[in-house]
Amino acid sequence: MSSISCTKLTLFTIAAVTIQLIGLSVFVFGFFPVKPLLSGHSGSESFRPPTCDNDGVANHTDASLPPDRLRFMYQEVSEIQPLYDRLVLMVIDGLPAEFVLGKKGQPPSKAFMEAMPYTQSLLANGMAVGYHAIAAAPTVTMPRLKGMVSGAIGGFLDVAFNFNTQAYFDDNLLAQFSKIGWKMVMHGDDTWLKLFPGLFERHDGVSSFFVKDTVQVDQNVSRHLGDELSRDDWNFLILHYLGLDHVGHIGGRNSVLMASKLFEMDEVVKMIHINTLQNLENDQGQTLLVVVSDHGMTENGNHGGSSYEETDSIALFIEPKTHAFNHSSPYHDTIFQVDIAPTLALLFGVPIPKNNIGVLISQMVDSLTDDQKLRALQLNSWQLFRLLQTQLPGLSCRNFPCGAFVTNSGPRISKCKDSKEKLFCCLYLNAATLHDAWKAKAIIRSNSTEGYNSIVAAYHEFLSSASEWLSHKATDKPINLLVFGVAALIISCLILLGLVVVIHKEVPAWEMQDLDTYVKPWIIDEVFILFGVLILVISMGSSSMIEEEHYIWHFLTSTIYLLFFRKAIQSVDLHKACDFLSSMKEQRNISVCQLSSLILILFSGRILKGWHQGGVNWTNLPDISKWLEQAGSQYINMIQIASCAMVIILGISLLFLMQSKTKVLAVIGFSLLMSGLLVLQHFMNHQHMSASYNKDAILSVQIFYAVLGITTITVVLVLPWVMPMQTPEICSKGNFYLSASVPVGIQNMTPILVLKDCLYIVGCFYITSWCLLQLLLQQSTNAMPVFLVFIQILASMHTFSSSGSHHKQWVEITALYNLGMAGHFALGNSNTLATIDVAGAFIGISSHSTFLSGLLMFIITYASPMLFFLSIVLYISVKATIYPPVIRNRNSGEILKTLLGFPCIVPLTINSVLLSAYTIVLLLMRNHLFVWSVFSPKYLYVCAATACVYIGVFVIVATVVHTYIVLFWLRKSFSISSKENGTLSSNLRTS
Amino acid sequence: MDRRKSSKETTSSKALTMVPSPPISASEAFIVNTLCALVLFFAFWIANTLYSIDLVTDPSLTLFFIWITELPTVTLLFSRYRQNRQRCTYLRAVGRGVLGVPVGALLNLLGAIALGAPVTSQYLPKTVNWALMMSLFTTVPASCVLGSSWTDWRRIFAQTKPNGSIEYLLCLPAHGAVIGAWFGAWPMPLDWERPWQEWPISVSYGAIAGYLVALIASLGFVLACGRPQHIKRE
Repeated sequence: MSSISCTKLTLFTIAAVTIQLIGLSVFVFGFFPVKPLLSGHSGSESFRPPTCDNDGVANHTDASLPPDRLRFMYQEVSEIQPLYDRLVLMVIDGLPAEFVLGKKGQPPSKAFMEAMPYTQSLLANGMAVGYHAIAAAPTVTMPRLKGMVSGAIGGFLDVAFNFNTQAYFDDNLLAQFSKIGWKMVMHGDDTWLKLFPGLFERHDGVSSFFVKDTVQVDQNVSRHLGDELSRDDWNFLILHYLGLDHVGHIGGRNSVLMASKLFEMDEVVKMIHINTLQNLENDQGQTLLVVVSDHGMTENGNHGGSSYEETDSIALFIEPKTHAFNHSSPYHDTIFQVDIAPTLALLFGVPIPKNNIGVLISQMVDSLTDDQKLRALQLNSWQLFRLLQTQLPGLSCRNFPCGAFVTNSGPRISKCKDSKEKLFCCLYLNAATLHDAWKAKAIIRSNSTEGYNSIVAAYHEFLSSASEWLSHKATDKPINLLVFGVAALIISCLILLGLVVVIHKEVPAWEMQDLDTYVKPWIIDEVFILFGVLILVISMGSSSMIEEEHYIWHFLTSTIYLLFFRKAIQSVDLHKACDFLSSMKEQRNISVCQLSSLILILFSGRILKGWHQGGVNWTNLPDISKWLEQAGSQYINMIQIASCAMVIILGISLLFLMQSKTKVLAVIGFSLLMSGLLVLQHFMNHQHMSASYNKDAILSVQIFYAVLGITTITVVLVLPWVMPMQTPEICSKGNFYLSASVPVGIQNMTPILVLKDCLYIVGCFYITSWCLLQLLLQQSTNAMPVFLVFIQILASMHTFSSSGSHHKQWVEITALYNLGMAGHFALGNSNTLATIDVAGAFIGISSHSTFLSGLLMFIITYASPMLFFLSIVLYISVKATIYPPVIRNRNSGEILKTLLGFPCIVPLTINSVLLSAYTIVLLLMRNHLFVWSVFSPKYLYVCAATACVYIGVFVIVATVVHTYIVLFWLRKSFSISSKENGTLSSNLRTS
Repeated sequence: MDRRKSSKETTSSKALTMVPSPPISASEAFIVNTLCALVLFFAFWIANTLYSIDLVTDPSLTLFFIWITELPTVTLLFSRYRQNRQRCTYLRAVGRGVLGVPVGALLNLLGAIALGAPVTSQYLPKTVNWALMMSLFTTVPASCVLGSSWTDWRRIFAQTKPNGSIEYLLCLPAHGAVIGAWFGAWPMPLDWERPWQEWPISVSYGAIAGYLVALIASLGFVLACGRPQHIKRE
C-alpha cells in the first residue's frame, strides 16, 4: 500500500500550486507583453530636443492656448509649412494592397486593373503614390485603426484593462487634430464612434454586424458623400467602407462580387478626387486623399492572423495636383502601417503622437525644402528617442549637447555596435551631430547634396533600427518564457493528478471492509466525470464553444445529476419495501428523499439555465430575466424580498436541524437573522433608487458589511472554543449513522463529533451569509438565481449525506464543482468582458477605490464558484467518516488528510487541468481571428477562476485546520490545566 | 458502461423466479431489428416523397411519421415475446405497449428538459413528437415485453444488466438511442448557422443513429448469448 503522509501531501500540493502560480505569471507576462505606454498627448515639447526637457511648463502653456493659437504656434516651432489643409481618410476595410499595387513588382491581375480604372490612372500619372503597408497582428479592425491613428502597436492588456469603455485615450492623430480646432466628420464603421466618442461633428455609423450585407453598408456611407464634399466646414473627413470586407467574408478573394465592389470604391475615389480638384480653384486649400485599408484577407476572405495576405494592407496617397510624386517605382515600396501616423502628423503640422513607432515616409515630403525635410526627420527622431527612453531607462546620452550647436568642423561619425542603449544613442548622436553641423554651415551650402544625403541616411538608420526594435518589443512573444510557463503549468498539473491518484488508491484500503463499491473497477458516473473533463478540454479549442460555454456546463452538470438519479434508482425497491422490516422501510425513505432532492437539483438547474440567455450568439432570445424586466420593477422587488426571506429561513432552519440545541446555536441564528434583516430592510427602503447614489443606502450597506464581517470572523474563531463537548448520543443528524454503526471507541470519537458539529455550523453560516451578501450585491434580477443555487447546494449536501449513496468522494466534489460553474454562468456571466457587473462594484463604497471595487467585482462575478467552495466546509462535516483506529492513534496528520485530502486537491486538479489545457489552446490559437475577442478574454476568466480556487481552498483549509487545532490541542491543554477545577473534565478524559 | 455480468453480484431479484420470456433466436432477432430499421427508413421515405419534407424542413411532422409508423411495428413485434405468457395475452401486451407510449414520452420529455431543451410554446410540438419517438425507441418495447415488473425495469435500465437474448434487444437500442441523442446535442451551440443545428433536429439524428448502431450491436449480443443456450438445449 503506497501511503502518503499528510505532511508530504501538503508539501507536494503547495509545491504544485507554487509552480502553477509561477508558470501562470510567466506565461501571462510573456503572452501579454506590458509595454510602458506614455500617457498624455504630445504638445509643443515634441519640437524640442528630448534630453533637454523641462516638463510641465510647456504643457501648461499648450493647454491654455486656444486651438487657433496652438496651430500657429505648432507651425512656428515646427518650422515646416503644412503642405495640405484638409484630409480625407478613406478606409476600405480588408482591401489587400495586391489588388491595387500588385505583388512583387508585378501589376495586379487584369480583372482588378480594369475594376479600378481611375485609381490606376492616378497611379500611372503620378498623382497618387501607393504603398504596401504591412499591418501588425492581430489583423482585426479596431486594433488596426488604433495603429493607424496613433502609430503604436497596442497589447491585449490595454483592451482588457479598459473593458468599461472602448474609447481610445492614448495620444493619437484625431486628438491632436481636435486640439488645433479641426472639425471632423465620420461616415462608416461605427468602430470609430466607439473609439472616439463625441469627437465628430457629424457622423453616420454603420455596424459590421450583418456580414451578409455587402451593398447597404456602403450605400449608407456614400449617400453622404456629395453633401460632404460640397461643404467646407470640415477639415478631416473619414469614410470607412465595410462592404469589401463583407464580400471577402462571404466569397473570399475571388468572389464574383469583388470586381464590382472595387469599381464602386474606384468611383468613390474618382468622385472625391474630382471634387477636391474643383476645390483647388476656389482657394479652399489643398486636400490630401489617403486611401488605406486596415488589413488584407486570406484566399478565403478571413483575417486576424499574420500571414502576408492578411497583413498586406494598402496606403494610397492621392494629391489633387500632378507634380508631387516622381513615380519611379510606384509598385514596389513597402512601408509599415504605423508609418501613416507620423507622416500625416508632419504633413499637417501637429505633434507626432507620443507612442508612435512609425517612421516618416520620406517620399511624401519630397516637395519640401531640404531644411524642412531634415527638420521632419529630426522631429520624428526626437519622438522615437523619447519613446526609447521609456523602454530603455539606461538610454540617456549624457554627453548629448543640449541646445548648443556643435561647431567643430569635422563631425565625427563613429561605428555603432554595442549594447542596445549605446547603439541607439550612437546612431542618434551621429545623425544629430551631422545635422547640427549642416545647420552651422547653412550659409556656405553650395555643393551640399552629399552632406545632405549622409544626414538623411544617418537619420534613417536611427529611425529604422529604433522603429524595428520597438515594434518587435510590442509584438514579439518571448518564446522561451511561453514554453517555460506552459511547462511549469503542465508539471504542476501532473503533480496534482498524481496526488489525486495516490490518495484515491489509498481510500479503498481504509474502507474496504465496509463498502463493496470499491471492488468494482469503474462505475459509469466516474467514467462520465472523467469524460466530461475531457470534453471541456476539447471544447476549449472551438471559439463558439467558448462563447457558449454555459451550455456545456449546464449539459454536463445535468447529465451528472441524471446519472446520480439513475444510480439512486438502482437501490429503490418499490414492491418489497412494504412487507419487509422497518429498517427496509427506512432505507426506502432515504432513497425517496434522495430522489426528490436530485429532482429538485435538476429542476432548479433548468430554471437557472432559463434565467439568463447567456453567451454571444443567442443573447437576444427571450429569457426569464428579460421577461421580469419587462414585467416591472415591483415584481422584481417582490421576488428579491421573497428570495431573501427564503434564504434566511432556510439558513436558520438548517442550523436548527442539528439536534443539540445549545445557546451558541441560538446566538448564531440570531446574528444570521440580524444580517438577513439588514438586507431585507435595504431592499424595502431603497427599492426605487439606485443604491450607489444615496447616502442612507450606502450607510445601510456599510453597516451590513460590518455586521457580516464581524460575525463571520467571530463565529469561525470563537465557535471551536465554546462548542460544548457532548456525548455522542445527542449530536447532529448527520452523525447519526456513524455513531450507530461504530459503537466502539465512542469515548474517542467525542472531539471528532464536536469537530463535525463545529464545521457544520460554520459551513451553514458561511453559505448563508455568502448568499445574503450576494443578494445585496447582484443585480436585482439575480436574486432568485442566487436562491436557486443555494437550494441546489443544500440539496446536493442532502443527497450526499444520506448513506444510500455510494459515490466516491472525488465524484461528489467534481459534481459540486460543476454545479458551481453552471451557477456561475446562470448568474449571467459569460466569457466576454462585457457581462461583468460594473455597477454592482460600487455598492456601499462611498469614495472611489480601485481595490475595493475590484474586490466587489470579483465577489459578484465568482459568486457561485465561491459558494461551492464555502459549501465544501459543510460537505466535509457531512461526509467525515473517521475510523476508530485512526482516532485511537491520535494521528492528526491522518485525520486532517482524510478530512481535507479530496476536498482540496480535487478542485485544484480540475482547475489545473483546465488552466493548462487552455494555456496550450491559447498558445496554438495566437494567430486565430478571434484571439483578441474570444480567446484572450476567456483566458482572463480562467486566471480569475484560478484565483478563486486558491482563495476557496485556502478558506477551507484555514477553517478546518483552525477548528481542529483548537478542538484537539488547545482545548485539551486548557482543560488539563483546569482539570482540578472539575469543569468539563469528565467529558474530556479521552486517553 | 459496464455490461459485464460480474459473478460477485448476486442480487436478490434473481431469487424471485419469474417466468422468463422465451429466448429469441438469432434469426428472429435479425428479423425484428431489420423490420424496426426498415420501418424507420419507410417513415423517412413517406415524408420525403409524399410530403416532400425531411427532418430539417419540418421536424415535427417528420418525427410524427416516424413514431406513428414505428408504433404498430414495435408493439406488434415485441408483444410476441412478452413475459408470463400464461397470464398475459397478446392483446394485453399490445395494450400495455400502447400505454407505455405516453409514459415513456413523459420521461423522455422531462429528461430532455432537464438537459436544457427549450420549453417555449413554439417548440412544444417538436419536443412532444421527439419525445414520442424516443419513447418508441426506449420504453415501448420494454413495456410490451416486461409489463410493469419494476425489478426487471430496474435491472435493465438502471443497472444495465440484461439477462437473456430478448432483453438485449430491449436494453441496447434504448441506451443507444439515449446516448446518441446526448451526443447529438453537442453541435447545437456551434455557430455554423446550419438549419439542422436547431432543436430537436440534430438530437433526433443522433438518436436515430445511435438506435441503428445499437440495433446492429444487439444482434451481435443475441448471437453471442444465443449460442451457449442453443448447445444447452440440445
